[in-house]
Amino acid sequence: MMNHGGDGPAATNLRRDPFKTSVGKGAGQRRRQAAITIGKDRRDSVVRAKRLRRADPADHGDGDAMQLAAVAADDDVAYKLLEDSTAAAVLNLKNIGKKATPKKVEALQTLRRLLSCSAYPPVHVAVQAGVVPLLVDCLGFGASEDQLFEAAWCLTNIASGDPEQTRAVEPALPLLILHLGEKNPARVVEQCAWALGNVAGEAEDLRDWLLRQGALSALARNLSSPIITLVRTAAWALSNLIKGPNSRAATELMKMDGIVDTLVRLVSNGDDELVVEVAWVLVYVTSMSDLHSSQLIHAGLLPPLVARLAVSHHQPLLTPVLRTIGNIVASDNSKCDAVLAAGQSLPGGINGALARILETEHRTLQKEAAWVVSNLAAGSILHKRAVFNGGAVSPLLYLLATSTFDVRKEAAYALGNLCVAPRDQGEEGKPILEHLNVLVDRGCLMGFIALVKSPDLESARLGLQFLELVMRALPDGKGPKLVEKLDGIAAMEELQFHANEELRIMSNMLIDQYFGEDYGLEEEFVSGDARTQYGPEYPPWRRGGLAA
Amino acid sequence: MQYTQETVKTLSQCFLQTLATDSEPRKQAENFLKQAADQAGYGMVIMQIVCEPSVEEEVRQAAAVNFKNHIKFRWATPDSDVSSSVISIQDPEKEQIKGAIVKVMLSTPPKIQSQISEALAIMSQHDFPRKWQTLLPELVSSLSSATDYTTINGILQTANSIFKLFRYKFKSNELYIDLKYCLDGFCVPLLEIFQKTGLIVAANTAAPAILKPALICQRLCCRIFYSLNFQELPEFFEEHIADWMGEFHKYLTYTNPLLAENDPEKTSVVDDLKAAVCENINLYMEKNEEEFQAYLSQFATDVWGLLMTVSLNPGQDRLATTAIKFLTTVSKSVHHKLFADLATLTQICESIVIPNVRIREEDEELFEMNHVEYIRRDMEGSDLDTRRRMACELVKGLSSHYREQVTGMFNGYIQSMLQQYAANPAQNWKAKDCAIYLVVSLAPKQASSGAAGTDLVNFEQFFSSQIVPELREKDVNSNSLLKADALKFLTTFRTQVPKHLTLELMPQLIGFLVAESNVVHSYAALAIEKLLAIKDGKQTRYTSACLTPYLQPLFANLFGALKLPESQENAYVMRCIMRVLSIADIGPFAVQCLGELTKILAEVCKNPSNPSFNHYLFEAVAALLRNACEKDPGQVATFENLLFPVFQTVLENDVTEFAPYVFQIMAQLLETRRPPIPPTYLHIFPALLTPLLWQRQANVPGLVRLLQAYLQKAPQEINQGNQLTQVLGVFGKLVGSKNSDHQGFFILNTVVENLSFEALSPYMPEIWNVLFTRLQFRSTVKFTKSLIIFASLFGVKHGPQRVIETINSVQPELFTTILDKIWIPNLTFISGDIETKLCSVFATMLVAPLFQSSKEMLVGKLMNSVMTLLVKPEEERVEEDKDVPDMDEVAGYVAVYAQLHNAAKKEDDPLKDIKDPKEFVAKTLAGVSQQYRNLSAILQQGLEPANMTALGQFCGAYGVTLG
Repeated sequence: MMNHGGDGPAATNLRRDPFKTSVGKGAGQRRRQAAITIGKDRRDSVVRAKRLRRADPADHGDGDAMQLAAVAADDDVAYKLLEDSTAAAVLNLKNIGKKATPKKVEALQTLRRLLSCSAYPPVHVAVQAGVVPLLVDCLGFGASEDQLFEAAWCLTNIASGDPEQTRAVEPALPLLILHLGEKNPARVVEQCAWALGNVAGEAEDLRDWLLRQGALSALARNLSSPIITLVRTAAWALSNLIKGPNSRAATELMKMDGIVDTLVRLVSNGDDELVVEVAWVLVYVTSMSDLHSSQLIHAGLLPPLVARLAVSHHQPLLTPVLRTIGNIVASDNSKCDAVLAAGQSLPGGINGALARILETEHRTLQKEAAWVVSNLAAGSILHKRAVFNGGAVSPLLYLLATSTFDVRKEAAYALGNLCVAPRDQGEEGKPILEHLNVLVDRGCLMGFIALVKSPDLESARLGLQFLELVMRALPDGKGPKLVEKLDGIAAMEELQFHANEELRIMSNMLIDQYFGEDYGLEEEFVSGDARTQYGPEYPPWRRGGLAA
Repeated sequence: MQYTQETVKTLSQCFLQTLATDSEPRKQAENFLKQAADQAGYGMVIMQIVCEPSVEEEVRQAAAVNFKNHIKFRWATPDSDVSSSVISIQDPEKEQIKGAIVKVMLSTPPKIQSQISEALAIMSQHDFPRKWQTLLPELVSSLSSATDYTTINGILQTANSIFKLFRYKFKSNELYIDLKYCLDGFCVPLLEIFQKTGLIVAANTAAPAILKPALICQRLCCRIFYSLNFQELPEFFEEHIADWMGEFHKYLTYTNPLLAENDPEKTSVVDDLKAAVCENINLYMEKNEEEFQAYLSQFATDVWGLLMTVSLNPGQDRLATTAIKFLTTVSKSVHHKLFADLATLTQICESIVIPNVRIREEDEELFEMNHVEYIRRDMEGSDLDTRRRMACELVKGLSSHYREQVTGMFNGYIQSMLQQYAANPAQNWKAKDCAIYLVVSLAPKQASSGAAGTDLVNFEQFFSSQIVPELREKDVNSNSLLKADALKFLTTFRTQVPKHLTLELMPQLIGFLVAESNVVHSYAALAIEKLLAIKDGKQTRYTSACLTPYLQPLFANLFGALKLPESQENAYVMRCIMRVLSIADIGPFAVQCLGELTKILAEVCKNPSNPSFNHYLFEAVAALLRNACEKDPGQVATFENLLFPVFQTVLENDVTEFAPYVFQIMAQLLETRRPPIPPTYLHIFPALLTPLLWQRQANVPGLVRLLQAYLQKAPQEINQGNQLTQVLGVFGKLVGSKNSDHQGFFILNTVVENLSFEALSPYMPEIWNVLFTRLQFRSTVKFTKSLIIFASLFGVKHGPQRVIETINSVQPELFTTILDKIWIPNLTFISGDIETKLCSVFATMLVAPLFQSSKEMLVGKLMNSVMTLLVKPEEERVEEDKDVPDMDEVAGYVAVYAQLHNAAKKEDDPLKDIKDPKEFVAKTLAGVSQQYRNLSAILQQGLEPANMTALGQFCGAYGVTLG
């Protein structure tokens, strides 16, 4: 007699279903950067979203203001004096009225100096004194180049202040956009772009407003300017304007004629400082749509971009370049192929370039680079082999063993991905033994066990998944023994009462499966040994075949 | 339901009655309330009663509890496709309750408030924030206007419970949207209240009445901080990190004698707050080390200082463990160098680790008074938050970078502890306890594979000089704690103790089974049980022959232990009995053991209270039965004679917990019998078909198994007794549900296997009807698979023609439709070796009949599926079963079905003659092709190239050709 029909509900529910997330689904995955951020935007520490324009190198007439600022920094009385002078300068500007250009430029210059002489200029005083309408007047048609330039500078610095000060310049926005046209002198255009960049950096509603007013195309057209500083500023302002989270602006940008080629050309030819700004544009563009990435790859972006990655030591440059490449490889395998191909002309290829960055002492770069590697390692079997043999393994192992938590987590994803076969071959969760063996021999298990004990839920899950892989896949039941030796049982036990259901079930399952009590009867109840009858990949509980 | 004087009066009366000691009026009131709760508006009315000051306090409290339960069971909207007997609260009333509950919670006295707060937390789990947009703003505005700390703490308590979800959910876009919403709304007010209260704490050092609620408030703020920071460091907290850390530092170093607790068991508000701070800085240290770095050395100093002064009182346990945990995190981090200095390491070990590892009076008390709890902590891993465990974790943390130094130091400590003990064993026994504890706890957690040892001491030396003497001591009752330690040591390192030595110690271990201390005899049972379970490869290390010399005293003491005070239901002892009974050559002891077990069974039947003891008891009976009757089937009568009276009591008195076990053992007994079976079995058969028994989910697997045994051993008797209709009735009921349909098939398959076609044929139309109705209206993958397996089984037993005919008798040409639309497409999902063979063989048997009835156009498709089934590995063709079980049938309290491993059922192959289905396929097709020459062409057309190639290979392998 037999009970046909296979799995009873107990078998299905308890033994298989909750463990759906095996390593194949967790580690073997590509991950995009989170769409919703609650943490501080890391770019801020590198490049501030809003920028103050300090002294003009061509301008030596800053005497008084400079002196004031020098003492004002740590002297309340002096700062009060600075504030008073600013209020007076605004009043002076008001009194001049609508005409009298030379005098007006002079008054604007005085004000501008006061607003640029310190890291914390007294913009609040100027705003309170009603400076914005006066500056809007100065931006009117027919105003001289000097007047436009000075007024835009003042507005730039006002907009670099607190949110309310930034919002105070709103009435000037239409005119600032208007002056972006190519007929205007470059220094005026650049200053207007700068002011707009500050506004765009503030908030999404302001970005929407600027978009509706046509700021995007006006700024983008300036990317083709021969004047480097203007291109740089325009690129920076653009990057602020398209950063989302809504992807509309980036999409609009990518639809412009010739923009793709322009961006690629700038990455190829620009100096480091320029490429920093362009690369941030690329970060946002590639993060929002795979289509954008395809367009850029098609236009030849990758070779110059990867080359930058391989040689640059400029950290502000490496961050956006890494993230752009990361966004691209977070997509499909063909894009990973393109990235690998682009690195072929370089010694060591893309993997060598990434290994170099993993070996720097710079934590955020290490983290970004490990993230890129983890996404490459989530690709096809060829990608996995390329990464495995490409020099990144040693630094990743080192980081997993020694680094801070966030870097360890990224390194763990990368190493974990190297050990599991791709998902798209119907072999989900199948180990790549030649990689797994090497990594385990080189001591990575300890790092994963440490992650199991981490309070971070994703890390704990990743750690458990890797332990599961090791115990399931290593030959001769070596896996459970290794885990036991490294105190992995205790680590898993800590999760047995976790409030997170998945972690709780996974840890209980694994302990039961590999270290549980057996009743010592039939062979099928023997833990560990039972799986050999189905081959190493499919322990019976995953098939629902163990208990009746 | 409306809020009127009348309803208030009636319901108040009811609530009063629910508190009655008399069960009759209490039950009545409860039933009344249950029915009232179905009415719309009930929740609102109860909430109003809770707030009504004119109602007596105890009634309001009872109403508050009732309200909470009302919310708990009726707030969730059940899935629309599931019928449920519980009427949930309707949306308009939900909105009313949401609108009112915060005010209610804040205006009620503490005891009621806690119930309402819980209700609110349950509501928020379902609705917050998306379907309850007003909650957070309402809490924030109440917080800003509140002035007294009862209200403030009520609000924070609520906020704390609704934010807790951020501590246990995986990152997702949805979670982050919710988190961002909470952060945007709550960060600023949280810091405000925290700082404002900080000023109050600072200004009122001499006023405990003001300080206490203020410090409770600060603790709640810290817990909320923990939740909001759990996923990752939010921007706001990073920007205000200095503010928060500054306050944290203040509280870690805050002392105020006025707030101290006199009772050493109680935790003071200050310590509670400090512990919460430690959790927060630990979280930052774990996850945000870079941002936290600037504050690290200050906090390390603070925590260090704190641990130097913290007492060993239980009231300070939580503080001590969280503080140690922080140091552990630092020791494992990139900043481990803080502890690199040998003097620092020494101080940590000597001033923090050792004092916290030493056994305390509380532990001794636990050992004496509450052995269950002591064992749970000492042996079962429920010590995650004890000082001993945390201190050991600290040592492990330090070892991750300073292994050599730490190992060396602890080796030294252990030696000196042992010397202390040697100098004056009676006085200094705690030193030895500490030494053994350290060796066991600092070794990696061991499993039965025994891969990990200890590198702290020389194992052989330690075992022979410290453990063996304890085990060899004549008086099993002297210094029980050290005896327990020694037994635990042996259990932990059991695989490393040589076999001969273990066997030499066996008489001593058996002696400890009747030691007076409950911990000691439990540990002795555990040690023996674990030793017997050791496997070297596939063999158990200790065989029946090893045990034979000890059986007499072993059984005497095992059953003796169950007569000791507080150990009548000792699960460790019973498990050991089970283990011995399944390994030993019990021969002459069988009857004696059965007698003992039956007596115990009869006793626990009266009041089943310890599920794990009872489980092992039945396992033991099953093991004994298997062990004894395998060698001598004649013994089964003895078992029946002794067991049946007890089983009868179980069934007659409706001992629901035991019924599932009883059915399994009865099945096991019956399976051991050779037909004809004794009439006793047949007498009770009708009773087993009572619907009441089958209504209980937990009974079903055991009953099915028993029913199968009857069908196997007495098919004719059942058929002649006209009981087949009832059996098939049971099948029909089981097969109607998605959860139990496989059980229904188990019965049906057994019927088909054991009865002749003549007996079956009157029932076949009805059977097919039931199955096809289910197929038509509520099909699932599992059901379809089971159906194919059943039809195949029926076919191989009674011939393909019978399958075709009986199906077509339901409706002409139905067979072709089923084959084409159901059978062929699902055939490739069949799993299991026996099932795969059965289904592929029978499908091949259908080829000839298909030709005969001119249905050969189906042959290509059919054989293509058969080939896929045989060629592709199971995991590539079988999809995961995504069927949703019927929740209404699972819900509610039911006794649980637990499978008895010792009563495990053997699987049988209905096609023993056919060894290799591939051979069968090749030869059958070759045969058919002799008669029907176009078979080969049909297969060429119908099979995928890979399958065609494989078929060619089959034919080649078995030396046949296709016409």
